[in-house]
Parts: sequence; C-alpha cells; structure tokens
Amino acid sequence: MIGLETVATPIGLVIGIVCGLVPLIAGIHYQQLRAGIVGFIACAISGFGCGVIGGLPMVVLTYAVVLSYAYVNRQDPFTSRAALVDVNFEETRSERLQRRLANVGNSVRAAIRALTRNRAGFVGFLGIAFFILVTTFGPLFIRYEGETHMERRAPGSRVLVAAPSAEHPLGLDWKGRDVLSHMVHGGQRLIITSIQAGLIATLIAVVFGSTAGLLGGVFDQVLSTLANFILTIPGFPFLIVLAAVVDFDSYFLLAVLFGVLNWPTLMRAVRAQVLSLRERDYVQAAVVLDLGLWHIITREVFPNMVSYIMINLIITIRIAMYSIVALTFLGLVPLEEPDWAVMIFTGRQQGVLFLPQASGMLLSPIIAIALFQLSLVLFARSLEEIFNPRLRTGL
Amino acid sequence: MSVLSADATPPLLQPLPVRPTLLQRLQRITRSYLFRVLFSGLITILAVTTFTFFLIRQMPGSPVEIKIDEMMTRRGMTYEEAYRAAATVFNFDPDRPVILQYIDFWGDLLRGDLGNSITQGGTSVSSIILRYLPWTLFCVGLSLLISFSLGILIGLAMGYWRGSWFDNLMTAIASILSGLPDYIIGLLIIVIFGVQLRWFDIGSVRGGVDPNITPAFSLEYIGSIISYATMPVLIYVLSSVGTWILSMKSSTVSMLGEDYIAVAKARGLSERRILTGYVGRNAMLPLIARLAISVGLVVSGTVIIEEMFQYPGLGRNLYIAISGRDYTTMQGIFLVITIAVVFSNIFADFMIGWLDPRVRIEGGNES
Repeated sequence: MIGLETVATPIGLVIGIVCGLVPLIAGIHYQQLRAGIVGFIACAISGFGCGVIGGLPMVVLTYAVVLSYAYVNRQDPFTSRAALVDVNFEETRSERLQRRLANVGNSVRAAIRALTRNRAGFVGFLGIAFFILVTTFGPLFIRYEGETHMERRAPGSRVLVAAPSAEHPLGLDWKGRDVLSHMVHGGQRLIITSIQAGLIATLIAVVFGSTAGLLGGVFDQVLSTLANFILTIPGFPFLIVLAAVVDFDSYFLLAVLFGVLNWPTLMRAVRAQVLSLRERDYVQAAVVLDLGLWHIITREVFPNMVSYIMINLIITIRIAMYSIVALTFLGLVPLEEPDWAVMIFTGRQQGVLFLPQASGMLLSPIIAIALFQLSLVLFARSLEEIFNPRLRTGL
Repeated sequence: MSVLSADATPPLLQPLPVRPTLLQRLQRITRSYLFRVLFSGLITILAVTTFTFFLIRQMPGSPVEIKIDEMMTRRGMTYEEAYRAAATVFNFDPDRPVILQYIDFWGDLLRGDLGNSITQGGTSVSSIILRYLPWTLFCVGLSLLISFSLGILIGLAMGYWRGSWFDNLMTAIASILSGLPDYIIGLLIIVIFGVQLRWFDIGSVRGGVDPNITPAFSLEYIGSIISYATMPVLIYVLSSVGTWILSMKSSTVSMLGEDYIAVAKARGLSERRILTGYVGRNAMLPLIARLAISVGLVVSGTVIIEEMFQYPGLGRNLYIAISGRDYTTMQGIFLVITIAVVFSNIFADFMIGWLDPRVRIEGGNES
C-alpha cells in the first residue's frame, strides 16, 4: 500500500508529479494553462505530503477546476452559443459526469474566493498550511538531534540550555540539542492526533445526532440521555483518570478517548438542526415529491449543516490539541520525544523554566501551539462563508 | 376538578374547592417541571458517581501497592509484613470486593460521610474538600465575575457602535484571546514577563498565601491572599474574556434589528437609556444562562493553572489525588464537581425562564 509511509519521500514526490500530470494535460488540452500549472503544483505538494491519500483527491479537485473554466453547458440556452433548436436535452453518461465535475470545480473556485475574501480566515488558513508544511517537509532539510551534546556547554555555564544564536536559531535545550530540529520534528504527531481526535468526535456526533433527529423515538431518548450523561462528567479530570486506566501504546488511542468524551455538544446541535430542518418547506416538498431518503439527506439537509459541522470540527480539533498538550504538560501520557508538548513538560521538569537563557527552548513550542490554535480559530470563522450553499449556487 | 354542588353553599360565597387527596397531590408534585428536573438531576449524579467509582478503581497501581513497594525496598520487609503494615496505615482493605466497597461507599455517603483519605491517613475527605474548595471558589469565581462583566460591557459597546475602530480593535484582541489556551497564556506570562523582563518575582506567585503570615482576619493576610490570586485570576480572565466579548457582541447586533429598538429610538429616548434598558438587558439574557453553566464548571476547569501556580485549590488537589491513587478523595471531589455541574444547569434553566417570559411559555409547551 502506497499510503502515509511515502510522506515526504522521493516516492511521494513521484506520486505527486504523476498525479499533477492529469490537470496539467487537461489544462493544455482546454487551453487553460494557468489553471493547469496551479493544479500541477497543488497535486505535487499534496502527493509529496500525503502520498496517494492526498494525491488522488487533489487530482479530482484540480481536474474539476480546470474543467470548470472550459466547460460550456450545452443544455443551458444562456451559456451555450448554440441556437435553441440545436440544443440536445438528452445527456449521455460522460456529459453528465462532465457537468457534475464542472459543478465541483465551480464550488472549489467559489470556496477559494470566499477563503481569500475573508482576511482573518485567510490568515488562519495560511497559518495552518504553514505548520503542516513545516512539520511535513521540514524533516527533509533539518536532521533530528536526539543525543546529548555535552560539548556545546558554554564556558562557565552550569547548564547546557542556551539562548538563540546564529548557529542554532532557536537555541539549545536542556540536553544541548538544537531546538529548531525538535520544533520541526515534534509537531507532526501532535497535529495528526488532534485532527484524528476532532474527526472521531465529529463523526460520532453527526451519526448519533442525525440518527436521533431522523428516527426519533427510543433512539432519540437513548442517545440524548447518553449525551447528557457524558456532558455531566467533568471532562478534563475524567480524561486524566482515563489516561491512567488506558494503557497507551499508540496516540491513536488517545484520539479515540478524546473523541468518545467530546461528541455530545455537537450531537445535540446536529439533532436540533435535523429536527428543525425536517419541518422546513423545501424538505417537506422533497418528501412529497418522493425524491428518496438519500436525496433528501445529501441534497436538502446536509448542505445546510455542513458549514456548522466544519466549524465544529475545527473547534474540536482545537480542544483536542488543548487536552493533549495539557495531559502531556502534567506528564500523564507516555512522553516520547520529539514533541512540542514534551518540550514544555521537560522544560518545567528540569527546572529550566526560570532560566532566562531557556526561553528559546520554552517559548518555541509555546508560541507554536498558540499560533496553531489561533490559526484554527481564525480559519473556523471563515468556514461559514466557504460552505454556505447560497454562495456556491450563486455562480 | 369538581366543585361542590350549588345548593350546599350560599350564592354569595365562592364554592369551596375540594381538598385534593394525598395521591392527587403526589401526582401533581411528580408531574411538575421542578420535580422532574430535580429527579433526573439526581439520577445523573447517581450514575456519574457509580461510573467514576468503578472506573477509578481500574487505574493501574493502587495506593497500597505503591506503599508496599516502598516498604519492601526501604525497610527490607517481606511482602506479607509490608502488606499488613500498609493495610493498617491506609485503613483500607484492598482485598475487599469492589462491589462491597461500593455498598460501603453509599452507606457512608447517606450518612453524610465521604470516608477518609487513603494517602493522608486520618484526614476525612469532607475536611479536605472544605479546606480547598474556598480557594478555588474565590479565585475562579472572582475571575468569572470580572471576565463576565468586562465581556458584557465591551461586547455591548462593540455591538452598538459596530464598524468603529473600537469594534475592529477589540474584535481582533478578543479573537486572539479566545484562541489561546489558558495554560499557554500562563506560560507566556511567566516566561516573558517573569523570567525575561523580571516584572514580578516568579517565586512569589506560587501558592495561595504567604506562608510567613499567620492566618487571621487582618489586612495583611487578606492582602496576601489577593496578591497571590492575582496571577491565576489574570490568566482566567484573559483566557475567557474573549469568548464573552464575542458572544455579547453578536447577541447585541442581533438585538439591534428588533422592532422595539426602532420604536424606542422613534420615541426619542436617550441613547444611554436605549443602550442599557433596551439593548443591553435583552442581549445579556443568553449570556446569563451560560454564566450559570460556567459556575458549575468552576471546580473542574482549573487543574492545570492551579498545578502551575501551586495554588491550593480543589483542582490541584484532584490532580494530586489522581496521581497518588487516593480513591476516596478522588471520589469525593468528583461528586462535588458533578453536583455543581448538575445543579448549575438546573439553575440556569430556571433562571432563564424567570428572566425571559418567552422561554417560560415555550418551555412549558415543550415539556
């Protein structure tokens, strides 16, 4: 399987470039070279960064965008230059696929436009992208220093920790290791675990919430009671207890644990939204027209909830990171270097918190976590506009 | 409800209502909203307590085992000797089945006894809670009050004069503050202002009160308590005020479109009157419910900050109890937290119904 293990390796780059050829060739074919080149770059980066998992979806998206520039809907008398009598209203399979892809492309373009229009949201997006790029590709350029460097002790100093210098831009930590290398290598697991935790919590919330809202009855009662029960449990202290009970051998388990404890708020919101959407006129109309449950869920109900769910996903990722860093800060999860949170923990543990020259070692992870959290908050603000269905159909 | 027949009473007097029977009265009580809310609250407390009771006993390593290990290595006792010694020290029988411990726990609890701490021999859990709870209540309660009032005032001004430079500036500040975790703010303050700039002495902000001052109702003692609480309060306020500001602003903005505001303006009421009496009051309503809910979270949300500043509150004590596997203390603190959460939620429900007649009517239909 060519999955996540190809991240930031030559194979990943090859995958990315191969994927990028699709929008590039499409761009040349449709005479939309600029879009093709941008698509090529996007595919190359995501393939390089996430292997096939990032490359293939990006191929679809970029191809759709390129297509949307060139696409002319022959059924639409306004955009088609053909005379009305010549319009063929029957649609072959490939034509329908093209139309759908072009619609996707238009949505992506609208989303990008909405993203860049909201200044604060765009800053947040750039911040998230920066941290993900640095923690994914940074290790290619900066070697990890895991061993103690006694020889770096400054003359006359009792400790190895040192303030930033030209050679080590972020200073040295308590074992004399380069802080920059720890920063670059130590963020990925934290970010991935937080995202996993957020995804798990959101998934549980959406499934439970829509089940309770759509089916009602016993399902609703059981799930709502469960949600209320979990909401009453004191969250963070309880996570501390659970962290001790569960024997961690993987960080994924930590993400699951967080997800299991943090779905009720969103679940109740989703349930309320489903209940209110069920009564709306257009949903009732779709029911009367017998468009089918799948159509009602995907076309009428889901588009109205997606912005809310996405905002909550980002907020949950933020809270997950908060909890994981807090658990690490208290020393309650297995401490594995390199990790931003472990840097703060050891800084406090080794008593260098109060040394002025240790600020490089301490401030780097603190500021990185603060900036990442800030980026998430800012980005969440702009998601409302990106996923607003009215903005998409307006094109 | 039936009334007495007309011939039995003179026409001028009102017919006397029939006294409801005991059963009817009981039914009326059980059907009332208050009763049902209280009942479900009690059930929740019971369930959470049971759940935590069994869960915390699943934590690896019991206090007795830790002590046995220590005695075996330090005093060279055999396992049996150490075991018996540890059992007497802790006044706790680890071999007793958990289910019997659970029954004991409820038996004691119904008599108002939370048991004795396992690791601090002889100290009752209630006394531990009573000793540490006031610190947390003071520190977090004060900061909640400050950040709520600040948030209401700033958010109201921002919403009323939206689009002004003040609004833009405060939106940016509030967004940044609401995005920063409390312990990150704490660490930033310590490292930047304490270590680098030396604006305050880092050693002097650890603890709850200066240990050299004898506890008394004196100006010096109270002053010391306040100065030691400054740093945690500052951090709580900074980390929570952003959210209050932003929600008050959006609440205010949504209020401004209402008809009665336009009517108030048309009547020529002064701006101050409109701002305080019409906009502010109504915009505050949803926030007051959230304030009541946050009061319940006061006890639990403080573990890290209290640990960071060695503040002698309940959160830090809970952390110590968890790391020392002090089951009874843990259980007691969890019980206090759960009760606080449940009752503050009920309180929030009733408060919003009392303040806002619309909710009262809708709530009545819904339930």
